[in-house]
Amino acid sequence: MNSLSTYLIISALLFSLGLLGILQRRNLIGMLISVELLLNAANLNFMAYNRFLAPDPVVGQVITLFVMGLAAAEAAIGLSIILALYRKMHSINIEAAQKMKG
Amino acid sequence: MTAMNMAGFPILTTILMTTIVGLLVIIFIPPEKTKLIKQVSLASASLGLVLCLWLYHAYDFQKGGLQFVERVLWVKSIGIYWFNGVDGINLPMMLLTSVVLFTGVWTMWELEHRVKEFFALMFLLVAGVYGVFMSMDLFWIFVWYDVSLFPMYPLIAIWGGTRKEYGAMKLTLYLLAGSAFILPAILFLWAKGGGHTFDLFMLQKIGFTPYVQNVAFLMLYLGFGILAAVWPFHTWSPVGHVAAPTAVSMIHAGVLMKLGAYGVLRIGMTLCPQGAVYWSHLMALLGTIGIIYGAIAGLGQTDLKYVIGYSSVSHMGIVGLGLATLSVNGINGAVFQMFAHGIMTALFFSSVGFIYDRTHTKIIPELGGLSKTMPVASSFFIFAALAGIGVPLMASFWAELLVLTAAVKAFPVAGILACMGMILSALFMLRVVQRTFYGEKNPRWEHIPDVSKFLAVPRVILMSCILFFGLFPKVMLDVIQSTVIPFVTRF
Amino acid sequence: MGAIFRDPVLFATVLGANLPFFTMAVILIFTRHNPRLSSQLSVGSIAVSAVCAISLLAKLFFAPALQYQTLWFVSGKLNIVFGYYLDPLSLLMLTIVGIIACLVQIYSLGYMAGDPGYSRYYAFQSLFAWAMMNMVIAGSMLQLFIFWEMVGLASYFLIGFYYEKWSASQAGKKAFVMNRVGDVGFFLGLILLLLGFGNLGIPELNHAASTHGLSQGLLTASALLIFCGVIGKSAQFPLLTWLPDAMEGPTPVSALLHSATMVAAGVYMFSRIFPFFSGSHDAMQFALVIGTVTMLLSSSMAMVTYDLKQVWAYSTVSQLGYMVMALASGGYFAGVFHLTTHAGFKALLFLCSGIFIHEFHTNDMRIIGKQGGRKLKIPMVCITVGALALAGVFPFSGFFSKEAILSVLAAQPNKIWFAAGLFGAVLTAYYSFRLIFHILLPMGGIEEKHHHDDHGGSSHEHEEEHHGYIFWAMAIPVMILAGVSLVLGFAEHPLEHFIMRSVNVPGELAAHGGAALQTVAHVAAEGAGHAHESGSPMLLILGVSAGLLGIFVAWLEYGRKGASRKGFLSHVPAIWKLFDLRWFMDVFYRKGLDTFMYAGLTSLFTLNDRRIIDGGIDGICIFTEGSGRLFSFLQSGMLQFNLLLMVLCAGAAVLYFVI
Repeated sequence: MNSLSTYLIISALLFSLGLLGILQRRNLIGMLISVELLLNAANLNFMAYNRFLAPDPVVGQVITLFVMGLAAAEAAIGLSIILALYRKMHSINIEAAQKMKG
Repeated sequence: MTAMNMAGFPILTTILMTTIVGLLVIIFIPPEKTKLIKQVSLASASLGLVLCLWLYHAYDFQKGGLQFVERVLWVKSIGIYWFNGVDGINLPMMLLTSVVLFTGVWTMWELEHRVKEFFALMFLLVAGVYGVFMSMDLFWIFVWYDVSLFPMYPLIAIWGGTRKEYGAMKLTLYLLAGSAFILPAILFLWAKGGGHTFDLFMLQKIGFTPYVQNVAFLMLYLGFGILAAVWPFHTWSPVGHVAAPTAVSMIHAGVLMKLGAYGVLRIGMTLCPQGAVYWSHLMALLGTIGIIYGAIAGLGQTDLKYVIGYSSVSHMGIVGLGLATLSVNGINGAVFQMFAHGIMTALFFSSVGFIYDRTHTKIIPELGGLSKTMPVASSFFIFAALAGIGVPLMASFWAELLVLTAAVKAFPVAGILACMGMILSALFMLRVVQRTFYGEKNPRWEHIPDVSKFLAVPRVILMSCILFFGLFPKVMLDVIQSTVIPFVTRF
Repeated sequence: MGAIFRDPVLFATVLGANLPFFTMAVILIFTRHNPRLSSQLSVGSIAVSAVCAISLLAKLFFAPALQYQTLWFVSGKLNIVFGYYLDPLSLLMLTIVGIIACLVQIYSLGYMAGDPGYSRYYAFQSLFAWAMMNMVIAGSMLQLFIFWEMVGLASYFLIGFYYEKWSASQAGKKAFVMNRVGDVGFFLGLILLLLGFGNLGIPELNHAASTHGLSQGLLTASALLIFCGVIGKSAQFPLLTWLPDAMEGPTPVSALLHSATMVAAGVYMFSRIFPFFSGSHDAMQFALVIGTVTMLLSSSMAMVTYDLKQVWAYSTVSQLGYMVMALASGGYFAGVFHLTTHAGFKALLFLCSGIFIHEFHTNDMRIIGKQGGRKLKIPMVCITVGALALAGVFPFSGFFSKEAILSVLAAQPNKIWFAAGLFGAVLTAYYSFRLIFHILLPMGGIEEKHHHDDHGGSSHEHEEEHHGYIFWAMAIPVMILAGVSLVLGFAEHPLEHFIMRSVNVPGELAAHGGAALQTVAHVAAEGAGHAHESGSPMLLILGVSAGLLGIFVAWLEYGRKGASRKGFLSHVPAIWKLFDLRWFMDVFYRKGLDTFMYAGLTSLFTLNDRRIIDGGIDGICIFTEGSGRLFSFLQSGMLQFNLLLMVLCAGAAVLYFVI
């Protein structure tokens, strides 16, 4: 049970869930959460590979931390965009933003 | 002496920091406090000016070479260094940048529209310019180069005048196209140099094969040449200048165009001397065409800024011709011309900017007779025009003398044609002066006040720069040739 | 720096030559709004300069040539040296410039009184004085060139002084550009010398040319190119039309710049490096042809114009042509002497005309005559003195110098030059006395009305008083110049000894100068056996009778009772028109500039920029944009559709790589 493939399977599941969410949800917040899932799937991969294949330099963990930082920043920016959109469109439905098409 | 005492102090980084700190401070000032923003801008610009003056004074031209060096390894795996230093070539450029920035900020004192953003972007632009000039590392040169290009778009598109979107877009596209030549060239040289250093002088020691040099030099020449308004890549210059607001034109024509010529000299000719020799005829040809073409095309223009834009094309042609000669006098003259032209165009744009602010037009036939209503403002422009004609005892005269002497020796036909350009430039400048300032008093401008004492200060500074270096060219040439003489031995 | 104060000669030179520059700066910066103070400053400084010049002349009259120099900067192998070279020629010219500039500035106190640009006028006058004096005593050709350009700049400003007038600013521009055309040749010549010889010092150059230190090809090429400068500055043949136009400037300016000193700078430069020029026979022949053509062409133009100043302008051109002829045929002293006398009497003629113009507000000689020009006794007498000098009548100064020139020309193997010289003398006398008779003996007598009108009105007394000051400010310089024109001719011998002084001067410098002057003496002796002492009585008779013939013809047509007052040329309208329109030279230039430059190249290049270069770039942009639109159907605006596409593509790629 405690092997690399377990983690990879979990991360693949996470990734699929995230992908599904981002493709299917119409709600922007939902999409944002799905993106987080995607990132976490990637993080899990990093940690797993780091743990099982190259434990000595903790590059994988460092990158995970880096991604987490990035995710926080992304969430902040994403939320502020959503807020701005809401103010403009009075909706956080993705279809409402469709009228921004060039 | 002072240089010794200060050896440990990172003066160049400090100069760079004056603009970046200025930028940060401006960002944190509320936008409605325009007065404070302007004061902060002026303070940081004048700090830069003082530091650059001190640097110029402290540079030991008897010793020559690279001084005030700061060299820290930044990224080891690909060999990027935080490597700054000044020599006789970039020192005048640093001084030029600080003077133009200072006077530019002062010139924009009456700006009311989105003041905060304007000065913030301007400082970003100048940070890039300082960075390019002081950096001796290809990676940083490229980064700073792009930093200096990017703010041009908003600066022109927001605060600009005639056809501003078009001008801004055109300028940005042209300059980025230049970047597209420069980056591959830099990476090419880096790779051919073993891929472990971006340090200019380490790469120089490697010595590339003639083939590599020819290819890389051509790419660098084209890429930087676009910024230096080399014919036929010059059309962004008139259009961009027409669109840009005053201080941006000043910095752009005064300093940014010099980045192009500087890049050719600093990267191209340093790393690829064989390539420079190989392509020197092309450079001389394009330079000469630029001189003549700019002056002739300028003869027909009706917009004051178009006229100056074309005069820049013509004057930058002299720089190109000087570089092409690959001789001490030619390069001395070219660097001196970069400085002289920078100051001169800044004065041009500064006085045109004033006229435009007051009359809201820069169409020559609509103006006319301005000397009567605004004698002082007119005299600034006329002075700049005289400098542009190359009247002796103004800085550009010496530069032209040196370049033409070298050019007649190296490329007799091109040199003689370039001399003919002197006639055209006289015709062209005096025509503009006559139509704009002479003639009957124009009732439309009767009630326009002349330039105030306060706003005259930056223009007077620029004028005295032109005169000072015109009367005492030694002050600048000693510095320049301390570097150029060893430089040309490699051709 | 200290050396300036230790050496009185150097001190006087530096002070005299550079004081006007500081005056200009002070006027432009501080006293712009105080015309009175400005003028006082300017006149004061030029007076100091004149005194310096005279005392230098007196002190160095018997001294060897002096040279001061300092290294201004070095660029590569190029050493730019600034310095002063005080030899008889430069001292003489310095004195001429100093005195005439001083007199003209005093004159301007009256002439320009009340002008809104009074301060500006004196600032530019000072600029001119500074540039001209520095040019005269320049030690190297480069320095001479620099101040030569500065003089041109001052001339540009002063011609366009009444800048509200379109024609004035046009004339200023024309003068500057035409001078530039010549100057580019000059400049190229200097570069050629710099590259081929490596030194532009005047004594060195002269020495090298006289000792065959220069190859003949280089010498001829550079001499011809440098002569282009003379053509531009001294308004010689192809570039002569700017000078008559330059009369748009205030009359004192015309007197100082465009007759006495500035335009003579070309001739001065010619004589400055005379040994150098005389090293090249071809260049000298070329100069002789140019001088002759100029002299005859401009004399012909002077015969038909009614504008007072135009007459003197054409006459200046033709006298400059005379000087060039003299120098080109080896008459070093003759050329320089004519330059000296001409400076005196031509300034006199212009200043007198200025009084008439100031009084009658017109340039037309017929109107001035009718309105009673001859009632102004002092200028009338003085202008006649000037005209007599110009026509070369004994004992006025022009007689001596013209005789000197004719004797040089007569010694040329080809007599055509002498004949041309004589013919020119006839024409000169004719057109100058045509003018004198027009004013002195106007057709149908004088209309009395004008004066009453002018002095009527309530402010009569005030005006009279004002008038007095103004009148005397103008009259005194005129009288001084008239006196000079009377006596200068008799100074020919001392001047000749001074100018031609040579060989037995000790010192190394003198060796340079000595050798150079030896050549001068040699050339001059070969050419003519100088001046009138060796001239035959035949020559004397021919010269005098040429002048008298001209005056007689003028009297027949304009002076005697019942004269037609039309001039023999009016019978042939075509020729009249040809002369009046300056042999269509201006038309030619204008047309050329308009069609070739403005309508041709300029619009072509602008079109090229707009259509081809910009059009091409815009085309690329449009292409890019269009191709983008082609694929824009993929960009539906539905975020999730895009994402799905992206994922599918990525999946396809993964599949491709895995399988």
